[in-house]
Amino acid sequence: MNHPIEPGTGSRSSFLSFMLAGEEYAVGLLRVREIIEYRPVTRVPGMPVAVQGVINLRGSVVPVVDLAVKFGLAPRPITRWSCFVIVEVSLDGQQTVLGLLCDTVREVLELGADDIEPPPAFGTRVRLEFLRGMGRHGDTFILLLDLDRVLSLEELLRLTSAADEAPDSLPAASPPAPHPEAPGHG
Amino acid sequence: MGPGDMTSEATAEWEKVLGIFSDEAEGLVASMEENLIALEVAPADSLLQDILRGAHTLKGAAGSLGFQAVTDYTHGVEDLLQALIDRRVAVDETRVSLLLGAVDHLRDLSRASLAGVDSLGAVHLAHLARLKQGAGLHPAPEAMAPAPAALPRIPESSGGKRGRSRMDLERLDRIVTLTAELSVARGRMTQFLSRAEDSGSSWEDALSLQREMDPLFEELQEEVMKVRMVPVGPLFRQHLRTVRDLARSQHKLALLELEGEDATLDTAVLDGLRDPLLHLLRNALDHGIESPDERKAAGKDARGHLRLRAYHDAGSVVVELSDDGRGIQRERVRERARERGLVAAPERLRDDELLRLIFEPGFSTAAEVTELSGRGVGMDVVRRDIEALRGSVLLQSQEGRGTTVTLRLPLTLAVIQGFAMGVGDQVYVVPIEGVQECMEVPAAERTADASGVLSLRGQPLPYLRLRQVFDLGGGTPARENVVVLKHPDGMVGLAVDELQGEGQRVIRPLGKLFQGLPGISGSTILGDGRVGLLLDTPSLVRRAIHRASEHAEAPHSSQDLLPEQPCSTT
Repeated sequence: MNHPIEPGTGSRSSFLSFMLAGEEYAVGLLRVREIIEYRPVTRVPGMPVAVQGVINLRGSVVPVVDLAVKFGLAPRPITRWSCFVIVEVSLDGQQTVLGLLCDTVREVLELGADDIEPPPAFGTRVRLEFLRGMGRHGDTFILLLDLDRVLSLEELLRLTSAADEAPDSLPAASPPAPHPEAPGHG
Repeated sequence: MGPGDMTSEATAEWEKVLGIFSDEAEGLVASMEENLIALEVAPADSLLQDILRGAHTLKGAAGSLGFQAVTDYTHGVEDLLQALIDRRVAVDETRVSLLLGAVDHLRDLSRASLAGVDSLGAVHLAHLARLKQGAGLHPAPEAMAPAPAALPRIPESSGGKRGRSRMDLERLDRIVTLTAELSVARGRMTQFLSRAEDSGSSWEDALSLQREMDPLFEELQEEVMKVRMVPVGPLFRQHLRTVRDLARSQHKLALLELEGEDATLDTAVLDGLRDPLLHLLRNALDHGIESPDERKAAGKDARGHLRLRAYHDAGSVVVELSDDGRGIQRERVRERARERGLVAAPERLRDDELLRLIFEPGFSTAAEVTELSGRGVGMDVVRRDIEALRGSVLLQSQEGRGTTVTLRLPLTLAVIQGFAMGVGDQVYVVPIEGVQECMEVPAAERTADASGVLSLRGQPLPYLRLRQVFDLGGGTPARENVVVLKHPDGMVGLAVDELQGEGQRVIRPLGKLFQGLPGISGSTILGDGRVGLLLDTPSLVRRAIHRASEHAEAPHSSQDLLPEQPCSTT
């Protein structure tokens, strides 16, 4: 392990890190149930694009969220490393299992209070309120996600990821994102 | 005696005794209530004797447990009953009401005793005094003395459990046996598979072994499903009293008759039926049943008759409420439709179309309830609730003769016989009952429009193209099929890529995140492990009609077709 437990550094907690569009993110390990490989998603019509649809997880119907779309990025192409990180969140007081689509899972790491910096006031790719902090890991920083904020019922049903905004409202800023269902290879 | 200082074993024994008393008391009180309602309509000594016997049994049971309040109170009830049997006083509405009030108190007092509160409140003592007066006895002065405040109301225990334990036990035994047989079959399968390679067995052998398990599994599934089934009787019987009291509050007379109380349906369906049924009963009493004078003038019995009937029919349960009231006055419906601008020319509607207007959301509002002397108050809510259970509502009415509302409900919400269809890589399922036929879309109709009209044997068939309605993207397939579905307003079609056929489907709710989504009512795991969505066709069609009328009024750009899916692909 890169980070052996050193006595005297205070409480340490474990995180699972994963890659998304070239950036490394992490969520608290206690919230992670399992990691499963990508499988076809059943789309649920009428939902915001960030909510991709549902998958079958050993007989349970589990909603899956495309974090890239939620963060305002183009949908990620599906590769052989694509996977779902299955996490548990509370939606309106109801314990719910959700899948997060990511490019690939990196590692489990331990961070002490000293290793976590508050996020800077600007410059991060993700909205500030979605972050618990920046985890220092060697020379790089990992974006520590606040799952309760990113995956609240209100946030999930919100229509304000880049792909949900009417393309004509931001005509010059960026070329319209490809449709999430259009296959990414091409 | 009381649960004072006892060993845990004795406490458990005591709990059991209390449980028996609870069941017995609920049963006795309920049957006293039913008999009283019957007594009011047709006084008979046998009914009085039954009620007295019930009261006596309750008194005995309460006495043996030391529940003084119930014992004393029942004693007062017996006095009045005895006076009625001896014909010292006559059975009339006032006395029946007194006794019904007493029955309510007995129910509360029994529950309170079980919760450890054993005393009579002021309300009870006052009512007891009135019972004595009703029996022609002079109330003892101390009975009127103020007493501790009224007892807290004990929440309703879940009814309808009585007398089921024996049946449940037999069913459980059967389930245990089936599970054992299945586990033997599974063991054989495991053994077979572990040796399959060495013994050179064929896939045929594996399949035949698998097929032996199928019937066992199906039977197990059926038995487990049946555990969820409960009779409609308890729900129906609750309303005997509701109808009497509601009618009286409007100075009307009404009697509810029950039929088919043994018909069973899924607990979840029964729960969903509760509100719509109460709504329909209220409607029938408010707007259907006339005042006694009006009824006599029309040559009818002064007492209105409501009939609640349940029966099984072709894989569903039918619950029917009919009344012999004034029926639906068509002219009023037309007037209302004109007022509200629901249809352009209400006078040109066929009768069934006119009656269906009553289920339209804008048909009536709460403020106009009392003015409207037809029906239709909140009927849109009834329809929505019933359709949410995958059921349907039908209304028939004859002016002056009465109205019948027929609810058709699925036996269970957990399993359906479904018809699957594919669009791209997505699969959708509809209940098979609705599927009439399938046909290929003629080349001329192969467009990328969200809806269109086909000719079905010379009749126009409006249809929705799911690929566009759900914004799935992708091109028009080489072949396209239409599934023709029965809908309250006639036939509708769903255009899909391929037909995948029918099969039994276990339905799961989609969870909090997807609540209230139009057009989707659940999900099911498909044979290949993927998830298929269960379509709510009525809501899809309603949305399409709504859009069509909006577009007729003010044409919008095509972007407005699907406000939830702004990034449409074209």
